[in-house]
Amino acid sequence: MKKLFTIFLFVLLLSMTMNAAANLEITFWTHEDPNRTEIEDRYIAEFEQANAGVTIKRVTSGSGQIQELILTAFAANQGPDIFNMSIEDEYAYIANERLAPIDFQAAGYPSLQAVYDAYIPGVLDPVTYKGQLYGLPLELTNWCIFINKKVFRDAGLDPEKDYPKTWEEMVEVSDKLCIREGEILNRRGFDFRYPYYLVAMVPMVEQLGGQLISDDGKTAIVNDQAWIKFLKFMQEWGPSGRNLGSPTYTNARKLFNMDNNDIGMCHTGLYQIGRINADNPAFYESKEWMVVPFPKFENAVKDVPAAYYGHYYMVNGQKPKENQQMAWKFIAYMLSHPEEYLTKVNIVQPTVELMGSETYKSMPYSDVFTNDMAKGHIVYYGENSAKIQSHIREAVESVMLAGVSPEDALKTLRRKVQEVLDEG
Amino acid sequence: MDYGLTIKKNRISNQSLILDIFIWVFLILAALFILAPTIFMFTASLMPANDILKMPYRWIPKGFYWQNYWQGIRGNDGSFIYIRNILNSLIVASVVSATTVIFSALAGFGLAKYYFKGRAVVFMLIMATMMIPFEAIMIPLYLVTTKLGIQDSYAGLIAPFLVNAFGVFLMRQYFITFPDEILDAARIDGASELMIFRTIILPNSIPAVATLAILTFKSQWDNLLWPLLAVQSEEMKTIPLYIVKFMAEKHTDEGAMMAVAAIASIPILIVFFKLSKYFLGGAALYSSRKG
Amino acid sequence: MNKRIPNYSIERKKARWGWIFVAPTLIFFSLFSFYPIFNALYTSLFKKKLLSLKPPDFIGLDNYSYLLKSSDFWNSMRATVVFTLGTFVPLLIFSLIFAIFIMSRKRFQNFFQLAYYSPAVLSSVVAAVIWLLIFDPRGLGNQWLNSIMNTPGIDHKWLANSVMVQMSTMLVYFWKYVGYFTIIFIVGLASIPQSIYEAAKIDGANDWKNFWYITLPLLKPTTILVSIISMLQCLRTFSTQYLFTQGGAPLAPINVITLNIYHTAIRDHQIGRASAMSIILFVIMMLFTWVQFKSSRADEISY
Repeated sequence: MKKLFTIFLFVLLLSMTMNAAANLEITFWTHEDPNRTEIEDRYIAEFEQANAGVTIKRVTSGSGQIQELILTAFAANQGPDIFNMSIEDEYAYIANERLAPIDFQAAGYPSLQAVYDAYIPGVLDPVTYKGQLYGLPLELTNWCIFINKKVFRDAGLDPEKDYPKTWEEMVEVSDKLCIREGEILNRRGFDFRYPYYLVAMVPMVEQLGGQLISDDGKTAIVNDQAWIKFLKFMQEWGPSGRNLGSPTYTNARKLFNMDNNDIGMCHTGLYQIGRINADNPAFYESKEWMVVPFPKFENAVKDVPAAYYGHYYMVNGQKPKENQQMAWKFIAYMLSHPEEYLTKVNIVQPTVELMGSETYKSMPYSDVFTNDMAKGHIVYYGENSAKIQSHIREAVESVMLAGVSPEDALKTLRRKVQEVLDEG
Repeated sequence: MDYGLTIKKNRISNQSLILDIFIWVFLILAALFILAPTIFMFTASLMPANDILKMPYRWIPKGFYWQNYWQGIRGNDGSFIYIRNILNSLIVASVVSATTVIFSALAGFGLAKYYFKGRAVVFMLIMATMMIPFEAIMIPLYLVTTKLGIQDSYAGLIAPFLVNAFGVFLMRQYFITFPDEILDAARIDGASELMIFRTIILPNSIPAVATLAILTFKSQWDNLLWPLLAVQSEEMKTIPLYIVKFMAEKHTDEGAMMAVAAIASIPILIVFFKLSKYFLGGAALYSSRKG
Repeated sequence: MNKRIPNYSIERKKARWGWIFVAPTLIFFSLFSFYPIFNALYTSLFKKKLLSLKPPDFIGLDNYSYLLKSSDFWNSMRATVVFTLGTFVPLLIFSLIFAIFIMSRKRFQNFFQLAYYSPAVLSSVVAAVIWLLIFDPRGLGNQWLNSIMNTPGIDHKWLANSVMVQMSTMLVYFWKYVGYFTIIFIVGLASIPQSIYEAAKIDGANDWKNFWYITLPLLKPTTILVSIISMLQCLRTFSTQYLFTQGGAPLAPINVITLNIYHTAIRDHQIGRASAMSIILFVIMMLFTWVQFKSSRADEISY
C-alpha cells in the first residue's frame, strides 16, 4: 500500500515537473473579499504577462470554509501552491513542516535580513521557525471600538467626552444606550465579537494580570483571580446579568454599518472604514462615526489592547522547487503594492515604509489603531490554538448563558486547556 | 374511508361534532405552523434588511424590494456566478438521480429475482453502508477522489453518490412482488436477462423509478459537506456552497440572504408541486407490501 | 418465494446474471464506502495528526479508551441521545396523528399532505438560515410565543439557553421531517383493506377500538420502517447543529457526535481519534438497526 502510494506520488510529481517545463501553473487559494479580488486579478494579469508560460489560478472560498478546505487538501497531499489564513490556523502547517521557506532572492530581497528589515519589528516572529521564514503578511489587523455618535446623542451622551475608557464605563454607557422591550434588546450599546475569544477576551484577562498559558508554555491559566474577575464581567454582561448583549444577537459589526439605530458601538478593525463606505456611503460621509481605543479595566495592572492578528501568505513545501520559487516571486509582486491594498481594501501590510507613509497617516483614525497596536501583542497562536479558543468560548458561554459559576467554568477550562498542552 | 376516527353522517352526535371541529382546527394550525417559515422566507426576501427584525413582524411587505434578488443573483462581486452554481446543482442532481435509478434498479432486480450464493451477504453489506456516517469517511473519500484525479470537477461531485443503499433497498422491495411467472414466460420466449430487465422490468417500475429519482434529486440538492471539500473553483460550486459563502460575506444583509435562499428554493418547490403525485404516491414504496 | 423445482443449469445461469446485475453497485460501494470505512478503522488504531508527514504511531485501542474516559465524548453521546429521542418520538407520534387526521377528512387531503411535506424539499442550509432569523431575540419565535402566552417582552433565549437550544434544533428537525413521515403513514393506512373495518363494525366495535385493535397493529411494519429511518437520520444529524453554532449558539449542549467528529478532525487535526469516534457511531447505528429489526420480525418488511 505504502509503496504503491510512494510510486503514485512519484509519478504525480514527475508528471507535474514535466508539465511545469512547458507551462507552470501556480494555484492560489484565498478567502473571499471582492475588493481584493479586483486588484489581485489585475496583479495576476500583469504578472502572467511579465513571466511567459506562468499561469496563476486564483480560487476563493468563504472565510468560514477556507480552513477545512486547505486542511483536507493538505491532508491528501494536494495543497495549493499559495494560500493564506489567519496565523492561528496557519501555525500547524509550520510546525508540521508542510511549507517552503521564503526564497528571498526570488522574492527580490538581497538577503533574509533584508526581509526582516522591511517589516516593523516582531511581525515576522510568528512565521519564523528554526531559523527559517515561512510567510509574508498580507495584513496585520488590530481592533478598536467604533462609535455611532448619533446613538450617543440620542441617549443624551456626548460621544467625544462620554465614550467608554474603561470596561466599567463600557457597562454603564452601554446600559444607557440600550433600548429594551422587556428582556429583548432592540438597541444594544456595545457588544463583543463572540467567536474571537483569543483576539479580544484573552487581552482583557491580561489587563487584570492573568495569562492563558504560563511563560514556559507548560501551565494553563495563570492567576485565577484575574480569570474569575473576567468571567464575572462576562456573566454580568450577558442575559442573566445586566442583559447588555449575547452571542445570539445579530453580529454587531454588521449592524453598525447600516446605522439603523440598533447598535451604538462595535469592535472591529481599520478595514471596517472601507466597508462603511461601501455599504452605506451616506453614513460614511456624515462623519457620525468615530474610533476610540480598546478599553481597560479600572484596576488594570497591565496596559493591553486587543491582540492583533495576521494573515500570512505561505507556500506549499510539497511542490517542486520551481513552483516554490515562482510562488514567492508572485507573492512578492502582489505585496509590492501596499498602498493600493490600503486604499482599495483598507488592509494594512506592516512594512516600515507603509506605516510611515503619508497615505497611512492621513487615513482617518489610523493613529488610534497605531497606538493600540504598539502596546499590543500578536494573538495566541500555536498548533492547537483553535481548540483552545473553543474551550474559552465554552467557558464564557457557560457563565453567560448556562448559569455555571465562574469558579466552576474556570476549573473546567483549566482542565481542558491543560490537557491540550500536555498532549502537545 | 374509516380509520377509527371518521365521522358517520347518520349518527352525528355532539361529541363527534366537537371531535370533527377539533380535527379541523388541529390540522389547520399545524399547517400554519409548518408553512409559516417558508412564507416568512418569501416575505422577508422582499423587504429591506432593516424591516426584517422589527417587532412586530409585518407579514405583508410594503413593496417589492427587488434589490435583494438583484444582489443575490448578481453576487457581492458582480460575477453572476450564482446562475452557474444553480446550473451545477441541476446537473449534479440530475446525473446522480439518473445513475442512482439505473444502478439501484439493476442491483435491486438482481437481489430480488436471482437466487445466487452469497445473496444475503451482499444484501447485508449494501444495507450496512446506510449506517456509515459521512464524517467518518470524509477524508478517505477525499483521498480516493484525488487519486482518481477528479477533484474540483463534476466527476468529483458525482462519483461518491452514483448509487445508494436506500435506492437498492427500495427497488428490491418493489421488484420482490413482481410475479416470477411473467419473467419465466419471457425466458421461454427466448428473451435474454438484459432484455427482460429493459423491456419488462423497467417499464413496469415507473412509479418506483420516479420516486427514487425525485428523492435522490432532493438529497443532492441539499448536499453541503461533500461539495465543500470536493470543489474549490467558483465555477464548480453548488447552491448550498454559494449560500454558505454568501452568508459569510461582509456586504450580505438579512434581506439579500433570504432572497438567495428563496432563489435556491423556487426551482425545487416548482418541481415538487408539478410532480407532487410522485412525492405523495411515492411514499407508497416505503411501506412495503400492500395489505 | 419461488418453490419450483429448479433446472440446474438455468439456475446457474440465473445466478451468474444475479451477480452481473449487482456487480456495478458492489464495485462502487467497495471504492466509496467499504474502502473508506476500513481506512477509518485502520486509522483509528493510530495516533495521527492530519497535517503530519511523519509515520503515525500505532497505539492499538488507546483512542477508544481515551474516548470512553473523555467527558467531552460522553457529552456528545448525551447530546445525540437526547436529540434522537427528543426528535424521533414526537416525529413518530405526530406523523401518525397527522396521517390519521388527514385520512379522516373527506376534503383537502392533498392540500394538507403537500403543506406538511413542503419543508422537506427545502435544503437544510436554507432551513437553518430561516430558523436562525426566527430564533433571533427580535425574531418571530419570541413574538409568537409571547403573544400565545401573553408574556410581552420575554426573551425565550431560543439559541442562548442550553435547554432551549436543544429544543430549537429538535423543532427545526421536526418541522422539516414531520410531513415526510406523515406521508409514509398515510400510505400505510391506505393499504389496510376496508373490509376489515366493515367486519369490525358488524361486530360492534367503536372508533376507538378500531384504531387500537385494527389500525395500530396493521401499521406495525410502517411504524418500524419509519422508526428505523428517522432514528438513523437523527443519529446522523449534522448541518442544523453546525450552522446553529456558526450562528452564535453555544456548542456544548448541541455538540452531537457527528459535530464532535468533524471538530476533532478538522479543528483539532486528530484524525485517529476522530476515526475511532466514527467507528463507535457506526457500531451504534448498526446495533440500533439490528435490535429494531430483531424485535419486530424483520421478515415483515424485508422479505
